Amino acid sequence: MVRTLFYNSVFFLFTFPAFAAAKKDLSFWEMIAPPEDISENGHLITWLFNYVTGANVFFMTLVILGIVVFSYLYSAKRHKKAYYTYGDKKAHILFVAACCLAVFLGVDMNITRISNEDYTKVFNKPPDPTKEDVVRIEVLAQQWMWKFRYPGEDNVFNTADDVVTLNDLRVPINKKVYFQITSKDVIHAFYIPNIKRKIDALPGKITWMWTKFMKAGNWEIACAEMCGTHHYKMQAFLTTYTQDDFDKWYKNAQKYAELENNPEDPTVFWGWKWY
Amino acid sequence: MASFEQHIHDKPTTFISKYIFSFDHKVIGKQYLWYGIFFLLVGGLMALLIRWTLAFPGHAMPIVGHLLFPATNGVVPPDSYAMLFTMHGTIMIFFAITPILIGAFGNFCIPLMIGARDMVFPSLNMMSFWVAVVSGLLLLAGLITPLGAAAGGWTSYPTLSTLLGSPGVGQTLWTMSIFVLGISSLMGAVNYITTIIVLRAPGMGYFDMPLTIWGVWMTSILNAIFIPVLGAGCLLLIFDRVFGTTFFLAGATATQGGGDPLLFQHVFWIFGHPEVYILILPGWGIVSDLLSFFARKPAFGAKATAMCMVSITVLSTVVYGHHMFTTQMSPLLTQTFMTLTMTISIPSAIFFVNWLGTLWKGSIRFTSPMLFSIGVIFVFGLGGLTGLYLATVTTDLYLHDTYFVVGHFHYTMAASVLLAGFAGIYFWMPKMFGVLMNEFWGKVHFWLSFLGLNGVFMGMMLAGYGGMHRRLYDPFVYEFLQKLIPVNTFITYSSLLMGGAQVIFVINFIYSIVKNKKVEDNPWEVGTLEWTIPSPAPHYNFKEIPVVKCGPHELGNPALKDRDFQYQTEELVRG
Repeated sequence: MVRTLFYNSVFFLFTFPAFAAAKKDLSFWEMIAPPEDISENGHLITWLFNYVTGANVFFMTLVILGIVVFSYLYSAKRHKKAYYTYGDKKAHILFVAACCLAVFLGVDMNITRISNEDYTKVFNKPPDPTKEDVVRIEVLAQQWMWKFRYPGEDNVFNTADDVVTLNDLRVPINKKVYFQITSKDVIHAFYIPNIKRKIDALPGKITWMWTKFMKAGNWEIACAEMCGTHHYKMQAFLTTYTQDDFDKWYKNAQKYAELENNPEDPTVFWGWKWY
Repeated sequence: MASFEQHIHDKPTTFISKYIFSFDHKVIGKQYLWYGIFFLLVGGLMALLIRWTLAFPGHAMPIVGHLLFPATNGVVPPDSYAMLFTMHGTIMIFFAITPILIGAFGNFCIPLMIGARDMVFPSLNMMSFWVAVVSGLLLLAGLITPLGAAAGGWTSYPTLSTLLGSPGVGQTLWTMSIFVLGISSLMGAVNYITTIIVLRAPGMGYFDMPLTIWGVWMTSILNAIFIPVLGAGCLLLIFDRVFGTTFFLAGATATQGGGDPLLFQHVFWIFGHPEVYILILPGWGIVSDLLSFFARKPAFGAKATAMCMVSITVLSTVVYGHHMFTTQMSPLLTQTFMTLTMTISIPSAIFFVNWLGTLWKGSIRFTSPMLFSIGVIFVFGLGGLTGLYLATVTTDLYLHDTYFVVGHFHYTMAASVLLAGFAGIYFWMPKMFGVLMNEFWGKVHFWLSFLGLNGVFMGMMLAGYGGMHRRLYDPFVYEFLQKLIPVNTFITYSSLLMGGAQVIFVINFIYSIVKNKKVEDNPWEVGTLEWTIPSPAPHYNFKEIPVVKCGPHELGNPALKDRDFQYQTEELVRG
């Protein structure tokens, strides 16, 4: 026991610089940079984030300046006699009120207005599949995997020609993709870091999300809501194709689906009619 | 405004009546302090284990890991990891911060600062502590059940926390423990509210109360209103787990009938958001007072500060929806909750201006309680401002459930509350134990903790900005998170620094109590009522019930001749 303890500690002492050295070629800013935004509207979120950051840096600088400058100027050593005031003079009250108004009207209400506009006019405004060409996908979350269902050739969900994949989401770029999401057991959250958004997968309820991918490549999907011991392994892979590549894959997958989907097996038909 | 006579009781003589089942609010306050510090250490060790796992996945934590997880050669297994972060959150919120800030300071300070001989219901007070002990035992009992303690996160969302996701009895014990703790908090809250209203010394209007009392008062009101809501939620969860009801089951898991898991989130957060103010309000009060005491001038805009506490108390009850933006609420609700949440920044802005206004043109004495109080301005500034990102719907879509949230609420709930708690401990040490803690080591403790906690929580926010989500046993199974390994290593080193700094505190605390070097009655030269009596306070507090003639922050009055402060029992000197 003591010996293992000792060896493990020694082993650790020698290995931790290796951890620290990992990926050292990245600069600090590259290291903490958010995942690359590959969606049409993710920039709205980035912009608002930066706007809030600007405001925060400004106000935090004021607070820090206040602390540092006052601590320096008015320490007991330098400033023997305190100024006796309750802070209830007219000038004091006006100053406090001005600060509040600056924060509330200048920053808060601006953020609220912009965010609300983005949310109601973009993120929370579903595309209409009857009027425009969208890719519809049903997502089923369960401990600890993601299942994706495409409607297949007949464009109707829950039929034998549906393409169903496990932890493998493939979508075309430059086209709206519309997800409907639910969960089989506990609450999960469908998190695509590269579009900067997530939405909960709730048992007994269907939530939805839409986006338009703009760049082809391989990305990751994660579960963002604690869902049990192996929450950390609930990972899926996202492949974004150009329209041609997507069509090629989809056609092929369709062929296999028709061969492999057993119409007698009810577990295949976990999908729902599109809402 | 004492409406009845407060008798001086005989001093308790036996050990049990003096130290165990004591009716004395000061002893109960100290009991809560020890209780809180014990759980703070347990929760802190859990935090270190969590951090270790995140920074060095698959490597054993020296000594501690080997002792706790011999089966896996010292490495924390994934299920234990889930228990660790669940218990860490629960312990820190309900069993460390609540007992220290509300139990210890509330009990100790209320009667002393309002000039009463004890709480208005002393036996309810004693019961409140011992019920809290029962609750702590229930929680710890979960650790030795076959399937281990609760592991669904401190929020315990169903359906994960129903039998479907957590079959073990640990989760039931957790829920019962929170329910029982709610009873304890409720008893405390009723007692505090009544005491503050009924037992204020003659002449003490509400605005003559120190701001600490305002903070504890508002906290108690929130507790009295919202703890029962949490209790109801816990009870329904227990029904679901034990009696087979389906309040929170839905979808495939609800074999018959069925409820809604979101219902629990509503119940939980309608309590949960006021809870963060329950935790921070006493801290705000303490900091507002201490800044004035050590800047040697009256608290800037004290009435406004008190009224801001009231308005935050009211506002905190109508903003909880911002915890649930990703559940796809109606846009009407997201807009409402976002706007309401933003209005909280008005009273918050007033706090900051008032705190800085108190420092402005003061004559600041940088004692250790003062350093901690100034630290609170900084960390609460960061914590509050980063809340803007999370109150905003669209940025929340990205940041929700990431480490950014973890960093944000640790700044507001852990960093601010801890620093305010330490400020209070250093400040009231003479009144509690009749001793002062070592100033030098107090300052070392402050600077190391301050560096450490900023490293930890700033690092967490950076990791969250980089996209790292919460509650992952091994975040680096994701390729996009692998570049964050150095950030996580940095956070862990900072957390070790912060943890190490607390050793200094514990040694300083115990050593000064054991050494027992007597200190004068009013070492800080402050005029509130608790400093008019000997240190440590005698068991009856005040020989004569004091009569209050001026406010709590009468410092730096130029009309005063021989000293720069005056007691609240003295007529205000006018120039």
